[in-house]
Amino acid sequence: MKHILLATSALVAVAGASMAQDLPQAGTEWFTDAEAALAARLETQPITARAKNVILFTADGNGVGTNYAIRLFSGQLEGGLGDDYVQPQETLPYSALVKTYSSNGQTPDSAPTAMAMNSGVKGKNGMINVMDTVAVGDCAAGAEAGTKTFAEIASEMGKSVGVISTARITHATPAAVYARTVNRDWEDNSLLPEGCTQKDIADQLIDQMKAGVIDIALGGGRQHFLPTETTDVEGKAGKRTDGRDLTAEATEAGAQVVFGDEDFAALTMGDNAPVLGLFEASHMKYEYDRTGEPSLAEMTEATINALSSNEEGYYISIEAGRVDHANHEGNLYRVLTDGKAFADAIAKAMELTNPEETLIIVTADHEHAIAFNGYCGRGSKINGLCMGENEQGTEHTGEPNLGDDGKPYTVVNYLNGAGAVVTEQADGTWSGSRPDLTEEEATDPDYVQQALIPLSSETHSGEDVAVFARGPWAHLFRGVIEQNEIFHVMNYAVHAE
Amino acid sequence: MNRRHLLSVLPALALAAPLRAAEEPIRLRELYEKDLSFSDIALDAEGRRIPIWGFMAPPLKADSVFFVLTNRPMAVCPFCEPGMPWPDDILAVYAKRIVDVVPFNVPIVVEGVLELGDYVDPELGFYSKVRLADATFRRV
Ligand SMILES: [Zn+2]
Repeated sequence: MKHILLATSALVAVAGASMAQDLPQAGTEWFTDAEAALAARLETQPITARAKNVILFTADGNGVGTNYAIRLFSGQLEGGLGDDYVQPQETLPYSALVKTYSSNGQTPDSAPTAMAMNSGVKGKNGMINVMDTVAVGDCAAGAEAGTKTFAEIASEMGKSVGVISTARITHATPAAVYARTVNRDWEDNSLLPEGCTQKDIADQLIDQMKAGVIDIALGGGRQHFLPTETTDVEGKAGKRTDGRDLTAEATEAGAQVVFGDEDFAALTMGDNAPVLGLFEASHMKYEYDRTGEPSLAEMTEATINALSSNEEGYYISIEAGRVDHANHEGNLYRVLTDGKAFADAIAKAMELTNPEETLIIVTADHEHAIAFNGYCGRGSKINGLCMGENEQGTEHTGEPNLGDDGKPYTVVNYLNGAGAVVTEQADGTWSGSRPDLTEEEATDPDYVQQALIPLSSETHSGEDVAVFARGPWAHLFRGVIEQNEIFHVMNYAVHAE
Repeated sequence: MNRRHLLSVLPALALAAPLRAAEEPIRLRELYEKDLSFSDIALDAEGRRIPIWGFMAPPLKADSVFFVLTNRPMAVCPFCEPGMPWPDDILAVYAKRIVDVVPFNVPIVVEGVLELGDYVDPELGFYSKVRLADATFRRV
């Protein structure tokens, strides 16, 4: 992917410029690669046709730093040093930095960030598609202050809509495609306060499927669709206290409902019957632990193939929901493996779509308190120890750099979370020192990175995320943008004359 | 971890351990295959007293002999709540004595008799596939 095929005219123009200067470095690979990249950029033409299709990829919690870690991991998986690797989303021609703060949070959660992308306005932490004049949890006021979502706009234009997540399908990011709620935790009816007339999120999904807004919904979260008296195919009990089995209601309404990788593979897609896939009681498994469930790339492929039969086009929201969860655990390894699965899904979508008619947007909702140490030599495992630079060559020396405490440290740490080196002692006081660490221990898939501030769960951060895009009006992404502008680009692209 | 190092540096000392030679603790995950069926290690150790390395999840009940051992610290994510599920690869521990709670992110080694098979705790209603009975534990 590093070497880009070039249209000769641009290459000649670029090479001509440097040749005339007769630079001694002009023959090196660094130089010619950079010229090739520049030539490709000179050839890139904005696409100004109306977008038939829009695909919005979000990896939850995959800010610029987390994305960087995943890049190195993917490159090292292929046997390279990692840093020069190019992820599929990084080949897209346009990008911008995105400011993710919410109406009331310097640090956002996934509810208002998903609302920003699906409704075009920022909202308060904890609320989805309800305007920020309303207090969190205020049912009555929330009922009067809902937004109209991009999925509803697309549906009115005759487009099909798909929503995919490896988290619960009722979790914040996917919920923002189809639901309005003053509290993101109301995934089923059990937590709805008495007297609140707002429907829970699972109920709203079934309503939107019946209304023809949502055509395909794939993710985890069976427990929110089943009553407490019922257990699912894996023996886990539902959470609904209203006795309703929403999976049965969906089936009665004509939807195909599936629960595992085998019935998923056997689906008859593209016959216009809505599809509801619920592959876990709660979140789907991390990619590293995945068994009996489709991958994000498989769900992406099936959904694009099914919705492509609609000549009016489609909108698909695709979330890698658990990059965020592994970051919360301080377990970098699962961040990386879920991040790679996200990139595989993007590659699949790029392969199946035509940039002349499909706008693909790849972004994250927010970043985490992830941090990177130096000075590591090239090829230091991104999930391993920070190794010394090699002044004689390129790849690191194999000797870990040491802190002033004489102990090695990993490339990646977290500023807070479960890996805090200060722990509670038997007498209730807090103290500690950095444990000693080998490369073998650091690269163990269950390793939790060392952290500074003790917290039961590592936190999000307000740092920027990136957005990458290709297709109609993708060139509107540039510079530093507010997150809610993503909606406006999608909305402009599907309406452009 | 330091222990493994110590054993390799001082094999004589390890060999000289009295009677019950300290068995290298296994990781909790070694009890399961990827599809969550029991591993050969688990099947071989059934009914035997073995040490397992892991983390004590925040107890469900105070002053109990019961706790849950997890493979990684059981971080509680405020934005993943409610409905944060137990991981599938956990172990129920029934200790010899009332449990002195250890923080969720401090590694411990639990030693007890390995029991396999479905069991629902009559008092807590907690369902488990694997247990360590008559257990003791220590910080490591
Ligand atoms: Zn989160």
